[in-house]
Order: sequence, then C-alpha cells, then structure tokens
Amino acid sequence: MENIRKFTAVAHIKWLCISKNTTLMSGIAITILMVLGYKFLYGLNSGGHLSPVLLSLLLNLGISMNICMDGFLMVGTEVAEEKEKHTLRVLMTSSVTGIQYFLGSIIYPFIITIVLNFAILFISGIPMEQVSLPLFLVVNIIASLTSCIIGMIVGICAKNQMNANLISYPFIMLFMMLPLLGGMSEFLHKLSGFVFTGVITEMTECFANGEKYVLKPLAAVVLVSELIISLLVFLLLYRRNGYEKD
Amino acid sequence: MEQKILLKLSHISKRYKTELALKDISITLYKGEILGFLGPSGAGKTTAIKIITGQLHQTSGEAMILGTNSVNINASIYENIGVVSDNSGLYDKMTVWQNLAVFAKIWNVPSGRIKEVLEQTGLAEHSKKQAGKLSKGQAQRLVLARAVLHKPRILFLDEPTSGLDPSTALEIHKMLLSLKEEGMAIFLTTHNMDEATKLCDRVALLYNGNIVEIGTPKEICLKYNHNKKYKILLEDNKEIILEQNPENADKISLWMKQNLIQCIHSCEPTLENVFLQVTGKPIDA
Repeated sequence: MENIRKFTAVAHIKWLCISKNTTLMSGIAITILMVLGYKFLYGLNSGGHLSPVLLSLLLNLGISMNICMDGFLMVGTEVAEEKEKHTLRVLMTSSVTGIQYFLGSIIYPFIITIVLNFAILFISGIPMEQVSLPLFLVVNIIASLTSCIIGMIVGICAKNQMNANLISYPFIMLFMMLPLLGGMSEFLHKLSGFVFTGVITEMTECFANGEKYVLKPLAAVVLVSELIISLLVFLLLYRRNGYEKD
Repeated sequence: MEQKILLKLSHISKRYKTELALKDISITLYKGEILGFLGPSGAGKTTAIKIITGQLHQTSGEAMILGTNSVNINASIYENIGVVSDNSGLYDKMTVWQNLAVFAKIWNVPSGRIKEVLEQTGLAEHSKKQAGKLSKGQAQRLVLARAVLHKPRILFLDEPTSGLDPSTALEIHKMLLSLKEEGMAIFLTTHNMDEATKLCDRVALLYNGNIVEIGTPKEICLKYNHNKKYKILLEDNKEIILEQNPENADKISLWMKQNLIQCIHSCEPTLENVFLQVTGKPIDA
C-alpha cells in the first residue's frame, strides 16, 4: 500500500510537471500535427488515398518521432528539470525510494507514448484489417518502455534541461533518424534492424504494404536485448551516484 | 528527568579526496531542543547535515539518528525527519496547495494538516498562487511548511533565513520556536550569530571541520568574558565604558546614588566576538 501510495504521488507530480511543460506538450501536438499534415500533403496528389510506400513513410515518421522525441525526452527532461530546480533532492529526502521514483517518473510518458503510437496508427488511415493489433501492442510496449528507460539514463546523466537536450541528440540521431534514413539505402535499412525503433518501423512498413508481419528471432532479440541493456546501463549509473551526483 | 536523545554524533570525520571537511565531531541533540551549528562557509555545516541524514557517508565515526545508525538508514527515516537545505526547491508551476498536497500524499498526511501549516506559515491566502510567483520570503516559508507537514521528530535546517529580509526572518524564527514548543528537535546551521543567540538552546562553533566551542549561547559568551566591562550612559548623554574593579564599582555606586545613570549594560562578548577570539578569524571571513 505504502509503495503504491508513494509511486502514485511521484507519478502525480510528474503528470503535473509534464502537463504544465509547454515544450513537452507541444512536442506531442507536433507529432500528431506532422502525421496529419503529411497525410494531407501526401494525399493531395493521390486524391486522399496513400500508396503503401507513402503510408509506411508516414507511420515511420510519426512512430519514430513519438518514441524518441516524446518518450525519452519527456522522461529525461523532467528528471533534469528536477535537478535544475532542486526538487529531486527534496523528493529523495521525503521517504521516496529510488524504485518508486523510477516507476513514478516513467509511468505517464510510457502510457502517453503507447497511446500516441496507437493514435498515429489510427489517424494515418491504414486499413485496420492489415494491422495485427496484439503484435503492435506488444512491440509498442517494449519499445516505449526502452525509450522511457533511455530517458532515465539521459536524466541521470544531465545536470539541467539544456544538458538533457544535448545528451539526447545522439540517441535521437540513432533511434529516430536511422529507421527514417533506412529507406534511402539498403545498408542503413539493414542497420536499422538492429535498433528497437527499426523493429517497430519495419513492422509498420509490413502493415502498410498489407503483408503479414512475423516477428523474426533477430527482431525479438533486438527488442528484448536493448530493453535489458538500457535497464542495466541505468542501474549501473544509479548504483554509482544515485539520481544526482553529490 | 532524563532528556531523550534523538541524535548522537560520535567522532565523525569526512574526507573528500584530499580535503578533510569534518575532523572529529561529537554532538548530541535532545527532544525539544534547538541546536545551532555555527560557522563560516566551508566550515563543514552542510556536510554534517548530509551525513546525519544519510545523503553522504562519513569517513569514520558513528552517527545515530532516532536510534538508527546513519549508515543503515533507508528512505523510511525521512518519515520522521524534515530537511530544509539552503537550496530546497519548489515545483514552481504548481500552486502552493499542490506543492504541499503531493508531499501530503507521500507521507499519508490528511489535507486538514495542509490547511494547518498554511495558516501557521501565513500562506493560507496564497494557496492558489503558483509557487514560482511567490516572493523569496513566501517561498522559504513554503519550503518550511513542506518540511514540517508530516510533523517530523527532527527538523534539519541549513541556513533557513539566508538572504531573507529581517521581517520574514523574524516570522520564521517565531515558527521555529513554536515547533520547538511542540517537542520537535531542530538542528540548525547558520552563520548568523544573532539568529543563533536568539533561537538556540545550545550552539556548537564549527571551524575548519572541528567543534571549537559548545554550550548555551550565554555560557559561551560568559566563558570568554575575561575582561568584564560596563557601558554606561550618563544623564548628560556621555557614554563611557568602565572595567570591573573596586574603584569603578565605587564610581558607579556614587552615580547611581546621585541618579546620574540613564542606562547601564554589561559588555560580555557576543558569539561573533567569541568566534573571533577562538579562531582568530571573523565568522564571515
């Protein structure tokens, strides 16, 4: 009971902070607007009907952007903001444990990322009979969770919000741009199969093309191993200095 | 009656790489007592608080807080202690009420208690105001309100009135004295000697990581009152300072009989003077 109470209290704090953070909220709105905007622009020349290539491009853009820009930036920026405003130490000296803070910090960004990924799927206009919703849900959950844990890694390393944004760039370049650039060269496409965002975009490409998607062993290994690696890196950093180096 | 010990430090030292921040600190804090840790910046005051509250580990020695060794304490200890550091932050986009409500949830405190501390700190009328829009004094009062929300048994205050105007500092002093009356033990670090004299039951003067003097403010001041002097204002507005000796005693006695004295004060040293005497350096150096 006590654990749940403290976890929900931290989650409530995080929700209040996220919902009042215009940069983060506009990030969410921009993701949706980008998908709607590109859907409209792509549809101009084809009478509103998107070809599978354009549909897959649209889904790749929306989902990669959501996982990277909304998922880990939301978590990372909020942890960094707590350090910058000196509220993290206050929380950690108020009987909240590390695990309660961790779970409370990621729960809303995790849910938002999952819901947004579904929203992107729906507003893209992809015929739903082409989509395996249970598989999308499973891959979506693992990818969103990995994204949130990477956000915690960013947060643990960052001193302030500006620093968090700076630290995020390599992750954004790797996890967002690689799947997007995968369409330009075969080599980059193969490479993107080794990152978790690449797995989810490969899946949506199949859905867009009306193909049946089967989660290959390599893709499953990539998803699970990157989740575990990010968790281990987080734990390693946490064990060294906690959330904030003294 | 035996006083209840809430905190006991025994031979605590702390080394940061090459620098020895605390050397051999031994001190006890009792229930309902305000203990002042006084010293200039860098004397080791904040380090001491961090060690006691489990945020840092000492290099040697033992710190027992509420019967638990500080090395073994976990997050649950913070349900019985309140910490106000010199840079305790607020969620500035949340209202005053929300800032307290989220911590009330963490400590399982009823919302009636939030109203109570808002009244105590004079922030009730600002409860719907965003914390970021509070004045510095109001913000500091909110930090204090949050620290005492769960009625901790020990309150740690690191420079609580630093940078505040005198009237706000006075309000905070009143609040601290009323918390002491309720039985809360307060561990206060400050470099403000007047504040310490006014508030503290006992003070420890800290210099270069060592306690150089400890006792009640009065005891310490009288201990160093080697050269007893009296400042006298005579009827003709002439102010003189006289040393204590038989000759001057006769003089004062005569002036008293002739009703020539407007006022008379003893000139024992202040804590600031004692600190200067003991360390050879002023407190704000």
